[in-house]
Parts: sequence; C-alpha cells; structure tokens
Amino acid sequence: MMNTRCTSPAPTASFVLLLAWLVLSTTGCARQDQDIVLSSKENVLHLFNWNNYIAPETVRRFEKFCNCRLSQDYYSDNEEMLAKLSAGATGYDLIIPTGNAMDTLIRQGALKPLDKSLLTNIGNINPAYLDTPFDPGNKYSVPYAYTLTLLGFNQEKVKSLGLPTDTWAIIFEPKYLEKIKGRVTVLDSQRELMAAALKYLGYSVNDTDENHWKEAANLIVRAKPYWAAFSNTGYIKELAVGNLWVAQGYSNDMFQAALDAKNTGRKFTIGYSTPKEGAVLALDSMVLHRSGSRSDLAHQFINFMLEGKNSAELTNLIGSGNPNMDAIQYIQAEIADNEAIFPAPEMLNRLEMLRDLDRKQRRVLSRLWTEIKLR
Amino acid sequence: MTKEEANAPRAARFLVSGPPLLFLVVFFVVPSLIMILTSFRFPGEFGGLAPITAPAGAVDGEYGLTAEAYQFFFSDILYAEIFLKSFGVASATTLICLVMAYPLAVLIARSEKRFRNLMVLLVVLPFASNFLIRIYAWMIILGPESGLSHFINTILGAFGIAPVTLLFSPFAVLIGMVYVHLPFMVLPLYTNLEKHDPSLLDAAQDLGANGWQRFWRVTWPLSLPGVFSGSALVFIPVLGMFAVPDILGGTGDILIGNLIKDQFLGTRDWPFGSALSIMLTLAVLSVAGLATWFARSATGQRAA
Repeated sequence: MMNTRCTSPAPTASFVLLLAWLVLSTTGCARQDQDIVLSSKENVLHLFNWNNYIAPETVRRFEKFCNCRLSQDYYSDNEEMLAKLSAGATGYDLIIPTGNAMDTLIRQGALKPLDKSLLTNIGNINPAYLDTPFDPGNKYSVPYAYTLTLLGFNQEKVKSLGLPTDTWAIIFEPKYLEKIKGRVTVLDSQRELMAAALKYLGYSVNDTDENHWKEAANLIVRAKPYWAAFSNTGYIKELAVGNLWVAQGYSNDMFQAALDAKNTGRKFTIGYSTPKEGAVLALDSMVLHRSGSRSDLAHQFINFMLEGKNSAELTNLIGSGNPNMDAIQYIQAEIADNEAIFPAPEMLNRLEMLRDLDRKQRRVLSRLWTEIKLR
Repeated sequence: MTKEEANAPRAARFLVSGPPLLFLVVFFVVPSLIMILTSFRFPGEFGGLAPITAPAGAVDGEYGLTAEAYQFFFSDILYAEIFLKSFGVASATTLICLVMAYPLAVLIARSEKRFRNLMVLLVVLPFASNFLIRIYAWMIILGPESGLSHFINTILGAFGIAPVTLLFSPFAVLIGMVYVHLPFMVLPLYTNLEKHDPSLLDAAQDLGANGWQRFWRVTWPLSLPGVFSGSALVFIPVLGMFAVPDILGGTGDILIGNLIKDQFLGTRDWPFGSALSIMLTLAVLSVAGLATWFARSATGQRAA
C-alpha cells in the first residue's frame, strides 16, 4: 500500500525522489559507511521509518533511556522503502513496513527473527493485531501502529444533504453522488479503490476472481463521472478548506484534515467514519533488518515502544491507530473514543489487510485500472 | 600534405567530439539497451525482474526471455487509445505554445538590444522555482474558490450557463502543459528570429508587400528551423509527462507517462513498463522522422 502517511508527498514527488536517490546513491553509501565507523565509538540505532512517524519527545526519552543515538532515514511509501533496500541500502537495524511489504521482506529473507525473551512488554499488544497472515506467530514483527482506509466528509454539508456516512454507497451510488458531484475524491491507488468497491459488493479486499474485479470496475466506472479526481494527498487540504465534501482516504490523514479545519476556524467540521461494509486496515510493524549491526539496541527500542506511554505519544501526534492496550490510558479522550481510529470489536472483524498480488494478477489489475482511467 | 598533418585535425576533432559522444553512449545508448533487454524479461515476484537463468532448485520455470510484454501491449486496443490521446494532448500543447510564443519571440527579437537579455531572463525566470511547486500553484489558481473561477463563473452565470470547474479537468492539464513548456518554444524561436536581417523586410515593403505578406512570405519561412526545434522541444517532453495530469487532471486524464510510471511503482511490472517506453520511443522517432521529411520537402519546394 502506498502513501498512508499524512506528510507523504504526491507519488510523483516520491518517484522523482527515488530517481534522485538512485542517482545519488553512491554518495549516500559513503555517508552510511561513515555512520558505521562512528557507531563503533558511540551507540547508534539506525531506524528506517515513515516520515513523521515518531514523536520527537519519544525520541529524546529513548536516547536518554538507552544512552545511545537514534538515527533515522525516512520513506514515504512502502515501494520506495523496498526499492531502496533492493538497490543495496544497508546498515538499518529497524524498519517499520506495512503488512504486505513486510511479507515481501520476510520471503526475501531480509529480516532477522526476534528474541522474544528481550521483549517483556509484548503482552501490551492487543491479540487482535498479533499473528497476522503476513507473519504467523510474530517471528519477525511487533505491531507499531495502523491506519484505516475510510470516508472523510464535511459534516455540515453531508447532514444538510441528507447523505449517509456509514457506507461506501456515498462514493459509488449515483443517487447520492448526484448531490455532491465534483466534490468527491477517491484514492489514486488500484488496490485501495478496488478494495472499497469489492467490500461494497460484499467480497473480500483480497478477492482475486476476475469476474468480481470486473464487477467492481463497472461500479467504479459508473461512479467516476461524479468524482472530481483521484487523489492520494491533495484531499487533506481540499477537505480542510471546504472545496471537497466527501473523500476516500486514510484515517490519520482525515485526523490531520479535521485538525486543520478546526485550527483555521472554519465554519464546518470534518468527520470520518469506517463504512459498515468494512475497510482496509494497514498495520505497520517493527522488524529487524538483516543488515543491522545493533540487534541489542533494536530490541531495546521495540520494548520501549511497547510501553503504553511511549506508544500513545504517536497517536496523540498524528491520530494513528494504536494496537497497544496499555497505551489507551495515555491517549487523549477524543482520539481514544473515536471509532474511526479505534474500531469497535464488531467492526474489527470486517477490517482486512491487503495481501500482495502475484505478477500475473498485478498485470491484469493494471489493465483494468487503465481502462477505468480512460473510460 | 604529410600524414601527420592530416592526422592532427582528426585528433583534435576526436578530442572535441569525443566527450559528448561518450556521454551519449553512456547515458542514452546503454540505458536504451538495458530497457530493450528488460522488456523481454519476466517480472520478478516482488517487483524488479525474474532472474534470466533458473536458480538451483526452482520448480516452475518463468526464466529467460519472452515477448509476453509486447503481446500484452497488442492484446488490447486500450493501449493504442492512450497513445493516440497522448499524441493529441502533445500536439495541442505544441500548437498553443507556438501560437503564444511566436509573437513574444518576435517582440523580444525586435526590441532594443539592451532590453533583450532582460526579457529573455524573464522568460526563463520561472525555472528558478521548482516545477512541482509551480504546478501546485496552478491548483490554487484554478481551484473552485479562486478569483479566476469566480470571475469566469460570474460571466457564464450572466449568460445563464451553469458554472464550470476548472481544476481536475483536461483543460487544467492543457494549461499546466503549456505553462511548463512555453519557454522551450520561446527560446529557439527567439534565437532564430534575432538573426533575421531587418533589411529583408524593408526590401519586401519596397516591393509592395503588405504586413501580412511580409510575415507570411519572409519572416515565417525563415523562422521554420526555429519552429521545428521549438516544436520538438515541447512535443517530446509532453508525451512523457506524468506529473501534470497527476496533479491537475481529473478522473479521466491518464496519459502514456502516467501509465509507464504506474508500471514501475504501483504495479511493479518493469518489463511491461519498458515495453511501453520502447513503443513510445519508436512512436516519437517516427513522428520526428516524418517532421524532418516534411521540413525537407517544404524547404525544398521553396528552393525550387
């Protein structure tokens, strides 16, 4: 899955960055070698993380706790992270990938198994987020945070138009879309948009039956004339300033949009909710990369982040979902009570994680996606 | 002439033309060859490419070379449609750029010498800020709450026409494309027009040509090389552009550049992406060849 973070630039920008990185990778390696030389003198933990995915006060406290330095490199989507690693980037002790990217890393043999005896706080994690199909038995990974793909909306507008906000129908059914034509965006992601359509039709997000895909594509093509655009990041600002009324997007981005609208004193509020048909859950986990040299510090970091207080700080900062049961007491009440961030137990069963498609399926889906875009 | 004397200029010529030639080989020929090879391979399971030779103990064999990507390209009319559409957008952009840039280039070329450099500087000034930032600025200018949108919709409203949205439309893509590529048309035109001898126009006037005839029979034919190089500098980059439709386009504005980008990121299908790039290169080369042929026959006619 791509672009789940509110600070991630447009995919085009990340592509340009990726190219630039490939060109400059030789100098980058030189810098890393230097870091490794330094680390023999002082204790440095190398973390390869999403942009804006750890609170600054958490970093400060961890550095004091471990008497070491936390050095971070950033990525803005999983593809970028995988591309850097497969181009030979090394020296990372810890990475925080999303489920399907982690699956890839495990199958490539790029990860080190965890030493569970060092992770005394692992009992804090809600069992619902453990033992995922990507890493059965959590041999390699410990859940860090998650996002949901859901609906964000202009509360006042949607209410005055009498539209439902608890169903994907609002972005797929012409009878609702007529009232909000040109004020809706959906994600520019083959998997995410298809997932929403498949869920609305009652299928699994990981359904690979081509007939079901075609059914979903028809649903999308029928709704498309009413949408303003496909948007992966632009919708955050457009919702917050009132140009958009409904958007499919990520929960932490909606949190950001709601906060922006509130802080700039808009006359409306941005709400977000998980459709009753179910949605995509993207769980990010901490894993140890094979190229890292400091597993001791990496385990310390994981155990530190498993403490409720430390884990809660990220949720308070960016509104990410938190799989840590001990963290709830430290999370601001309005976030902890938000069912779009902390789904109710009956909703949890309807959330699914995206699994990777094989290369043939990817090609077929890509053609379907091109057709959707062109029609 | 002795042998040494004949060799000396050849060595000098090689010294001068060698580095650029080397540059072209390293940065154009080699990548193109890599791309051609890539397009005949199988995509890897995690993206990238499948190994050419089967690793020891591999069960099912999808290794080696294949024309699968090209078969896939020709299996559906869809991809031809995208090519046609992209060529349409590129042609429209080139034409609009030409119509807008020509008067500007004439103005610069005919203004006083001390102002010319300043005016050229103003034309290239937008390059001082990042291209993506300038495109994002157009999002604000064309947005539904912008002054421009309000102005246009007030006028349309006065005639009883329903309001239009400017952003996220083919129109916005065209504006973005023209905006980004305009300097590439102005500069070659200006370089060409600046060299024209003003006495030619005086002579034409003396012979009784009116303003239109002076332009059409003197200035325009002389400026054709500038028109062709400017058009090539606009047409070819527009074909590969994916950022502008991504940012300003609506739900239907996919161009060939977006499709290729998708193959390398979202779909992780390098062979098909490479095959698309090669088809694009071939298409561009044939258009360029056609244009050269036209240009040659057009100037040939005049010479006759």
